[in-house]
Amino acid sequence: MNSAAVFSFTCPVKINSGNRALEHLPFELAGLNASKPLVVVNAKAAGPKAVRTLLAAFGDSGMTPGLFEGVSEATDLGVVDHLKNLCLEKKYDAFIALGGGKAPDIAKVLNLAVSLKTPDARRLSPETPLRHRLMPLAVVPTEGADGLETSQIACVGRMVFSGERLAPALAVLDFRLAKGKSRIRTAATGLAALGRAAEAHIQADQNPFRKAYSFAALRFVRENLMDAVADPGNPKAALALMNAAAMSGCAFSNASAGRLHKLGQVFYEFLGIPQGVIMGMCLPRVLEDEFRQSSGDPAALLQPLAGDEAFARTPAEKRSGEALSALKQFLAALRGSLGKELPQNLREAGVSGFRREEVLDLLRKDEDGPYLCGVVEWMTDGDRERKG
Amino acid sequence: MLLPDYYEFCCRVKIVAGHDALEQIPDLLIERGAKKPLIVTDKGVAGAGLIDIVSRALGDRVHADLIADDVPPDSDLRVVNRLARLYRDSACDAILAVGGGSVMDTAKGINIVVSENAEDLMAFSGVGALKRPLKPLVAVPTTAGTGSEVTQVAVIKDHEKHLKMAFGSYFLLPDISILDSRMTLTMPPFITAMTGMDAMSHAVEAYYCLQKNPLSDAHSLAAAGMIYRYLPRVAGNPDDREGRLAMAVAACLAGIAFSNSMVGLVHNLGHATGSVCGVPHGLCMAILLPYGLEYNLHKRADTMGELLLPIAGGQVYLATPPEQRAEKVVSLIRGLNEELHAITGGRHARCLREITDREGKPSVPRDVLPQIAAAALLDGASIYNPEDTDYEDNLMILEAAWEGKPLDRSRVKKG
Repeated sequence: MNSAAVFSFTCPVKINSGNRALEHLPFELAGLNASKPLVVVNAKAAGPKAVRTLLAAFGDSGMTPGLFEGVSEATDLGVVDHLKNLCLEKKYDAFIALGGGKAPDIAKVLNLAVSLKTPDARRLSPETPLRHRLMPLAVVPTEGADGLETSQIACVGRMVFSGERLAPALAVLDFRLAKGKSRIRTAATGLAALGRAAEAHIQADQNPFRKAYSFAALRFVRENLMDAVADPGNPKAALALMNAAAMSGCAFSNASAGRLHKLGQVFYEFLGIPQGVIMGMCLPRVLEDEFRQSSGDPAALLQPLAGDEAFARTPAEKRSGEALSALKQFLAALRGSLGKELPQNLREAGVSGFRREEVLDLLRKDEDGPYLCGVVEWMTDGDRERKG
Repeated sequence: MLLPDYYEFCCRVKIVAGHDALEQIPDLLIERGAKKPLIVTDKGVAGAGLIDIVSRALGDRVHADLIADDVPPDSDLRVVNRLARLYRDSACDAILAVGGGSVMDTAKGINIVVSENAEDLMAFSGVGALKRPLKPLVAVPTTAGTGSEVTQVAVIKDHEKHLKMAFGSYFLLPDISILDSRMTLTMPPFITAMTGMDAMSHAVEAYYCLQKNPLSDAHSLAAAGMIYRYLPRVAGNPDDREGRLAMAVAACLAGIAFSNSMVGLVHNLGHATGSVCGVPHGLCMAILLPYGLEYNLHKRADTMGELLLPIAGGQVYLATPPEQRAEKVVSLIRGLNEELHAITGGRHARCLREITDREGKPSVPRDVLPQIAAAALLDGASIYNPEDTDYEDNLMILEAAWEGKPLDRSRVKKG
């Protein structure tokens, strides 16, 4: 084992996945000494059925959750402050983030504000010390999950909060909420999981604990994404993708933020484009560059992406190249299945030149700015082969 | 990758691994508001100089002088209560457990008493009795095998009342586990061999038993491959730092796997053999593992065959027809035991009749096998075994394992 430096791994998230997983939630919360949870949800995005299903799962548990349905993309720290006062007044002692996107972000920062009894949540910042245990937080992803639900980061008002203690204590993945209707949202979930898991899997530092999560995530994407896209209502495939997303978030929390993540995140925060759509667009380009630069261990992708037989058949020196080919074939098949539904470039994704410039301005501030801006330029044009 | 109809997976332990991982402890304790840990260990660990290494690594940023080094090989309620008093009287604010399974169990027991202000530890026995986080517990394993640095259970014995109390809660998980190669460098080859095979049994049983799940699978695959590669290496070269660290990591991976998916027949019969004959757990695991695979092979051949790739590598995997891969795994595990037997000059027993006590007398006489087979019926580990077991089958397996002969699979009652 080649490990020159000390490495660490933490995953505070317990995963409960499968049939009637939601019905375990009251028991799980009671086990964490909580009795009065607040559900935080973007009801428009998650849909009324998801809210009803979640609340019904509390049945005769004796626990009656509070409900805040008003999360939106615009929810800021002012709203968090208002919610914090409400939570302290009503003595909520746990949080449940229902759905993906902003709901888990808000729930994580709200948990921070309430647990610390912050006088003014609007003053919270990424520099706020996170020394104390927070209250229990459960995330319950729905269709369109992107994996960040289980991560230790939260983005509110263009600030990125990060820390082990922000991660949820529990992720509940339930067949009933995994099933979707939209092929493109399903694809985005799979692509976001694929992107983050791939970046975590190939990073240079040896961390077998992180790799266990990224390996399982990649396998699930490979084995289920096509089925889930063909029929988003296929509960088994949809749940497998949701598992992949949850695992990718856990792996991501123990890796350096990669290029794919940064690109997916910035387009989502600025323009609301699902992270997976952007990550799918630039996946082959970014990974190919990583291959060329020999950074990390791209050969490690071959086994989860191509299977045991293909991995065993391929000589060690050819595994990087074969992994890239397998990835490209997989993405080509996905594009073949989704056709025009899956944007191939920023124009097709509806990104105007003006908005693109805003994104570029932001990316230039990143330490990897020139590279990331180059990828955005490349993503702009429909004819990527010529530039690529 | 199999997605069960329902599964749960949890390991909330922060794992810190490296050749200098111990040096991280002061920062990790201070982050958690602690500065005065009670160091819990046993005479063997202290005598091997490991506490000196830990103390030096702690430096002067935290108090490192309160050392309780008299944990017995079998956890004991009186020791737990006495050390809990020491913790309170000395105003400690964390526990640093350095040792093997008994030390970890004792530390978990102390933590319940001091965190819950408990007078009667029994009130917290069973599953789910704990409802809130306990005091910071840092686990430093000194064997690469038990995985108890990442398990949520503890067993404390009340020797006066002849009671065995079991505790199960996610709050019993250590906050931090430190995997440092220095902690196992002085472990003798035959202990290295059997503790390593204990870890292998965790990885393999977790992979084919009934409660497997995708994350336990991923941990098992990684662990099995690392153990197969590194265990003979460190048994033959105890000073191999890279190998020692790899084994510590692999045993931890295997511990995470089995504590989330449970184990089966191998542990079932191993627990019974240990309790009837008092033989080391790891040795029982090493001997019984091939039999667990053989007994369940008709139900789990494909799954077992998947272990061949991480264990033997691509060439052997491809050269073995798919329908023979599970049997190949069995023969490689047997071969590993043979190799360890040779490396340790015969101290790593290959079958039950080869286990001897210090005087060289057989520890498992053939006539106790019926008693072991019966005792195994009272152990819960068989619940998760793919094939049902009964007294006759237990005895059949034990007889084969005693002789060191492969199991006659045609005699397995297929349920």
